[in-house]
Amino acid sequence: MSSVAAKWQAGTRWRLWALLPIVLLVGVVSTFALAGSPLIDLLGRNPPPADAFDVRRVAFQPGEIRIRVTNPQRDDLTIASVTVDDAIIPFTLDGSETLGRLRSSTIVVPYDWVEDEPIAVGVTSSTGIETVEEIPAAVATPKASGRSFLGYGVIGFMVGVVPVALGFLWLPSLRRARPEWLAAFMALTAGLLTFLALDALTEAFALQAALPSAFGGAGLVLLGVSVSYLALTLLGRRLSASGREQGEGVAASGLTLATLVAAGIGLHNLGEGLAIGSSFALGELTLGTFLIIGFMVHNVTEGLGIATPIADRGVAVSLRRLAALTLLAGAPAILGTWLGGFFTNDLLGVVFFAAAAGAALEVVTEVGRQVLRKAPGGLGSPYVVGGFLAGIAILWVTGLLAG
Amino acid sequence: MSKKRFTRGKFLAGVAPVVVGAPLAAAHLGRAGGHPEQLASHAGHEHARLGHAAMIGADVPAPGGPNDLDALLKPPPALPHQPGRVREYELVASDRDIEIAKGVTFPAWTYNGTVPGPVIRATEDDLLRVTFKNGSAHPHTIHFHGIHPANMDGVFEVVGQGESFVYEFPARPYGLHLYHCHTSPLKKHIHKGLYGAFIVDPPKPRPPAQELVMVMNGFDTDGDGGNNFYTVNGRAFYYAKYPITVKRSQTVRIYLANLTEFDLINSFHLHGDFFRYYPTGSTDQFEYTDTVMQCQGQRGIIEIDFSNTGIFMFHAHQTEFTDLGWMGFFNVVP
Repeated sequence: MSSVAAKWQAGTRWRLWALLPIVLLVGVVSTFALAGSPLIDLLGRNPPPADAFDVRRVAFQPGEIRIRVTNPQRDDLTIASVTVDDAIIPFTLDGSETLGRLRSSTIVVPYDWVEDEPIAVGVTSSTGIETVEEIPAAVATPKASGRSFLGYGVIGFMVGVVPVALGFLWLPSLRRARPEWLAAFMALTAGLLTFLALDALTEAFALQAALPSAFGGAGLVLLGVSVSYLALTLLGRRLSASGREQGEGVAASGLTLATLVAAGIGLHNLGEGLAIGSSFALGELTLGTFLIIGFMVHNVTEGLGIATPIADRGVAVSLRRLAALTLLAGAPAILGTWLGGFFTNDLLGVVFFAAAAGAALEVVTEVGRQVLRKAPGGLGSPYVVGGFLAGIAILWVTGLLAG
Repeated sequence: MSKKRFTRGKFLAGVAPVVVGAPLAAAHLGRAGGHPEQLASHAGHEHARLGHAAMIGADVPAPGGPNDLDALLKPPPALPHQPGRVREYELVASDRDIEIAKGVTFPAWTYNGTVPGPVIRATEDDLLRVTFKNGSAHPHTIHFHGIHPANMDGVFEVVGQGESFVYEFPARPYGLHLYHCHTSPLKKHIHKGLYGAFIVDPPKPRPPAQELVMVMNGFDTDGDGGNNFYTVNGRAFYYAKYPITVKRSQTVRIYLANLTEFDLINSFHLHGDFFRYYPTGSTDQFEYTDTVMQCQGQRGIIEIDFSNTGIFMFHAHQTEFTDLGWMGFFNVVP
């Protein structure tokens, strides 16, 4: 036997050895599963299941209420009785009566509900547990139509695209700014994005908390943040490598950085649009001019954030590029309002907001590197510190307008 | 409506309870497109329901089949007055899951397997002998309303699991009474279902009538200290699905008792007619009305001479109770 063969054999042996824990795990798990309940018997009886439904959506149509429910628990759950305002009413089911884990059905109730008045719907399981969902005001759920499609599109355009485009108008002034002031505006961008990252993260966690625990808990948020952070890092490297900044190292700058900032803000606007759209769709928000204005003022700084990295006079930017950046940052708000308005999905919401947070954090890192490289006085200069804090403060103050 | 403030938190609140989506909408569209006939008949069905002010018949979500509750609704016949005659009954306490509303089970404590328990009937001066066997996992008693010795009161002589006790006393005074468990915690032992009607007939027989027993009660199925369902004789909407057929030519006599837990009162209201109401049924005094109310433990006898034939509703005039199952119909035939 040659020594090569022996070596190969030894390698195989260790590879096979690595499989051992997995094989044993399968063995232990199947033994435990087949043995049934002796362990549970040792510990005493398990508590009974909660038998509460997860009411996912209550939609109102003329003469009809549709209640979407999900079974959030491991044990099966059966829909036995339905009440509206504490009155048992006949219903039909669009879906199964008995729901397996995470399975959903829609309960259809013919009901002459009263516009703008509070209403409570209750779903009782076969074990008599009633899950009550209180709706503060019954409002007809808009059906998808050309008009509402246009309406949501206009809202998305107003709060997403318009303010970013307006923010770009600062570009000529920025180009004439002194380097320390440019650094201040870069730091301001970082401040804005830090605010947005925290904001998106908070929303992601809040949405995630409302999901059934089976959906993976906070790990889902971490996954969304990580994937978008790494994806944006990769995108930044690609852009830098193919652009003329090749050789400048890994740090993104100029147009690449502006693109990254726009992408990060775009992801945030997607989540924002989703939230606005679904809130309108559910009648939880009153559509007002002031609200739209508040959001526009709030988002105008986002345009400033994208413009700053290309304010360097050495960077040539065509109008078409500017338009593309505007759309990259603003247009997702339109997509978001459509998604939110017509197909609201809180799982999607968690993923979007987590992705927005990850993207914003990545861009903060890139901007930080850029500032470190370019700013006179580095990160510690009063312009940079002041700009960063001002970025956070501006979003907080303009956020009050929208609130 | 409170003033709406638009905050990011509100956005969240907006998205959180909602969810849906494309799959749902697509499923509906797909269904509507795929089976137009089915959708049309479905819609027509719903409109028919909306067209009625009340649910009746096959559409009513009520458990069980016709005549299921006859043993509770129709009392055993009255026997002529014969002092000293022994009337024997056996009551066995057992824990059972019973269907109290369509598809909804309740883990009940029962006398003889039903809630309410069986109707106990004797004539005044009969010697009542009730053998009680406790097959439940909890200690119980039977406490009768009426006149009896202290050691027959079902308060101190708690009957443990597997034990038994014989209650023996002369039945008096005449009227409609109750029996129920009197073990602590009392609220639990009553709302779990340990009660029933106890009729003592007068020495001079009441005029012949179509006799019915209605025990009003409620069921707290989720343990929050409030009733989720209200019924007569234990099943929500049962008499809406299976109306009680009575003849106009003969008096309808209802032995009505209230054993509803948690709520202060319950009531009985008849549509389209008036009736004589004899509180507790122990005197000849009556009130002529169409609505009576009873607190827990109160009872009385209703006598209706229907003026018209047709379908007449009866229900609690607490509309909430009506909507949660305490509603039914008489089908009055010539």
